Amino acid sequence: MQSEVIVETRNLTKVYRDFWGRQKVLALKALDLEIRRGEIFGLLGPNGSGKTTTVKLILGLLFPTSGQALVFGRDAAEVTKNERIGYLPEESYLYRFLNAEETLDFYGRLFAMSAPLRRQRTSDLIEMVGLTKAKRRQLKEYSKGMTRRIGLAQALINDPELIVLDEPTTGLDPIGTRDMKDLILRLKEEGKTVLMCSHLLADVQDVCDRIGILYQGELKELGRVDNLLKVREVTEIRASRLNEAAQAEIRQVVERHGGKVQSMGNPTTTLEDLFLNIIRESEAHPGRRVRGGSGDAH
Amino acid sequence: MPIENPLPSLVEWFFGPPWYAGAGFVFLGVVVALAVIALLGGCLVAALRYGPAAAVKITGKVLAEAVPDLVRMSPRRVWALTWLAVKESIRRRVVVVFAVFVVLLLFASWFLDPTSTDPARLYLSFVLTATSYLVLLLVLFLSAFSLPADIRSRTLHTIVTKPVRASEIVLARILGFTLVGTALLGFMCAVSYVFVVRGLDHTHDVIADNLQPVAASPAGKAAGAARTGYTEPARGHRHRLTVDADGNARVEAERGHWHEVRTTSSGGAPAYALEGPEGMLLARVPVYGKLRFRDASGTDTERGINVGDEWMYRSFIQGNSEAATIWTFQNVTEDRFRDGLPIEMSIEVFRTYKGDIERGVLGSLAVRNPRTGLIVETEIFESKDFTITKALVPRVIPKAKVSRARVIARKIQVPGGGVEYDPPRESLNPSLADKREFDLFEDLVAGGEVEVWLQCLEPSQYFGASQPDLYLRAADASFGLNFVKGYLGIWLQMVLVIGFGVMFSTFLSGPVAMLATSGALVGGFFSEFMAKLARREVIGGGPFEALIRLVNQDNLMIELEPGLQSQVAQLADRVAEAGLFVTASILPPFGDFSYANWVAYGFDILWNPYIAVPTLRTLAFMIPVFVAGYFFLKTREVAR
Repeated sequence: MQSEVIVETRNLTKVYRDFWGRQKVLALKALDLEIRRGEIFGLLGPNGSGKTTTVKLILGLLFPTSGQALVFGRDAAEVTKNERIGYLPEESYLYRFLNAEETLDFYGRLFAMSAPLRRQRTSDLIEMVGLTKAKRRQLKEYSKGMTRRIGLAQALINDPELIVLDEPTTGLDPIGTRDMKDLILRLKEEGKTVLMCSHLLADVQDVCDRIGILYQGELKELGRVDNLLKVREVTEIRASRLNEAAQAEIRQVVERHGGKVQSMGNPTTTLEDLFLNIIRESEAHPGRRVRGGSGDAH
Repeated sequence: MPIENPLPSLVEWFFGPPWYAGAGFVFLGVVVALAVIALLGGCLVAALRYGPAAAVKITGKVLAEAVPDLVRMSPRRVWALTWLAVKESIRRRVVVVFAVFVVLLLFASWFLDPTSTDPARLYLSFVLTATSYLVLLLVLFLSAFSLPADIRSRTLHTIVTKPVRASEIVLARILGFTLVGTALLGFMCAVSYVFVVRGLDHTHDVIADNLQPVAASPAGKAAGAARTGYTEPARGHRHRLTVDADGNARVEAERGHWHEVRTTSSGGAPAYALEGPEGMLLARVPVYGKLRFRDASGTDTERGINVGDEWMYRSFIQGNSEAATIWTFQNVTEDRFRDGLPIEMSIEVFRTYKGDIERGVLGSLAVRNPRTGLIVETEIFESKDFTITKALVPRVIPKAKVSRARVIARKIQVPGGGVEYDPPRESLNPSLADKREFDLFEDLVAGGEVEVWLQCLEPSQYFGASQPDLYLRAADASFGLNFVKGYLGIWLQMVLVIGFGVMFSTFLSGPVAMLATSGALVGGFFSEFMAKLARREVIGGGPFEALIRLVNQDNLMIELEPGLQSQVAQLADRVAEAGLFVTASILPPFGDFSYANWVAYGFDILWNPYIAVPTLRTLAFMIPVFVAGYFFLKTREVAR
């Protein structure tokens, strides 16, 4: 059922108070939100906008001052809902004295999984996140990227229906970032629902179906990414191998129909694409100097 | 060994009588009262923050969730979290504490005086005290800092976002630290046992040529065949060794022990070798009687004379009078005491004049049949402070060995001023005392009941006694097992500290939780004193009255001068008494869980009641502590 609501917030408000009960910060103001099954929903906003507070309220780590957060139709503070949730925190808050296998086995036990199932899931997830060679090393010896990957693995140990990712690409190199984004898309293909919050706009744009933009605790924008990013007054034509005469002709056609050419030239790729192209080429042709940009190597 | 708070049997302790004073009913009452107070308190706080209607709803919701949270705990999850707590403790280098303990033992011989009068008591007290301090300190830190550290490092976020109940987290912490503490305590117990046994082990050389002939042989054998002398000194003492005419050698007890002697022959001359010490490490099984007193006029009283000692534990009788301390023993049967009544006593002496300080004060020991009134004085002994005097009332007591035999009735004061005699004076049969020999069970024990009388024989001197000061030593239990029981007491204390530490850490930061737990520990050790203060049983009044006395340097025994100042102080004390009563009631009496004295003094710690009752009391404290910890964690925002 594609339209089933997985996460719902109703007038969700959070006020942080001091010891005497006086209001310190209004972290979230009357948030109304619905996240449906199978979609990737992104919460965007600058630091301090209320993204992490929203996530924590949805996970039951904080209690709302007013309003309600429902997950799978149950109150967010209820424990049993967690059986269907996977959570990757902003930083992987894991026990650094455990190794990767012990970590996943421990979290598997918290889901009361049987020993054979735990072993299977542990093995599959370690392979999936690429930590097979480091699975016996204590987490305190891991780099930040490796810690993020084992953090992701623990979030998926129970094969969750809803995955909550807080700044999932933080600390990852571009390859790791791309892997993470690919994984998020794969999760969507498997029918999972993903809620992610990030301040890295490109990440959100690449993977999210819908986004909500928070600013100073208030929801400023909500909708589908493609609709929100569409600039309706501007028409973009992209063509290759046009000579200058052809370009001048196009300019005339546009002017004849009352339009105005704002710019015309060679488009630029994103830095992320450039970097990834260079890495791919370097791996394909070791020792050769690579020039990126158009995707051609010289 | 003083037992200031003797416990009734387990059944009597749990069910009464009276039933409303039984621990089971009191526990239920306290739990209900605490639950109501907590419910109203929680509702009030919620009402202040969210309004009355929401408060009722929130309270109902918390209660509704509490039932499954407390009942439907998953053993697999609890075990996973327990295992994590154990791993975390190991990571925090708990083994260091064990190493410190071993180092302490290595250097202990520097300051444990082997020449003391009772080295076993010294060694045992030391190991039990050292273990107790180290283990309690360790679990105090572990339990108070663990959860706050997880909250601060946010590792708890990845736990509580799994289907883990707050009750499981609290229970697993308690179990995890208990497992670690138990393992550590087990190692310490084993190492301590070896340390004590090896530390006390010694022998003495005997130089046969130094033995001198005994002047006369009691058995009528050839004089000069028997020889006596001293062993060579070791550990600050030596033993008198006697070799009888048949060549059998034995040593006299010294510093609470003796040695078996092995006789060998070296080049035709006898040689003597002593085995290791015997009787040093004991677990006596005492059979206690019920104590009453008899005053100088021969009338029964509940207590004796107060000689001005602030410690009211013992009551005194005056010497050279009819006054006596009387213990009545039940179930004295031939099966249990085939060889007679082995009596051990430790009587306090109060001297009104110094006399010969090297010599004890003389007393008499007699056995009386409570039904016929026949009393037979079997022994005259010297009583010295802090020494255990042993006596054996044999199965058959020849008249020649009896210093006095007579028939007397108990004189009992009845309400209204009259006097009753038990047995009635007209039924007394004085001829019972005229026998040539007395049989313990036929003449002195009636229906398994027998009385043991102690009297002080010297004028103007006093004997002081409390109920546990005289007992029948029915048998000895295994010292090794008793040693383990001693550690069980530390274990119970440890579990309570862990419970309080984890409970406080669910809502306080690490250092504050540690302080609060330390406060509970120290307060628990003084809970009996606080209860006495609340009951106004302490001389000198409550805390505010004591403050005035301190400032004015007033004597404790005189009343405060009447006036506004004393009235205000006494009024404030009434308020403080209520607080002290509540505090004393909710803190575990940690002192009652310490068995160090039992082991050090060589007494078997009886399963019922001295193990069973403290174990149930620990459980009774742990249940509310666990439930409180659950509610504190459940209602806490862990991501705040």
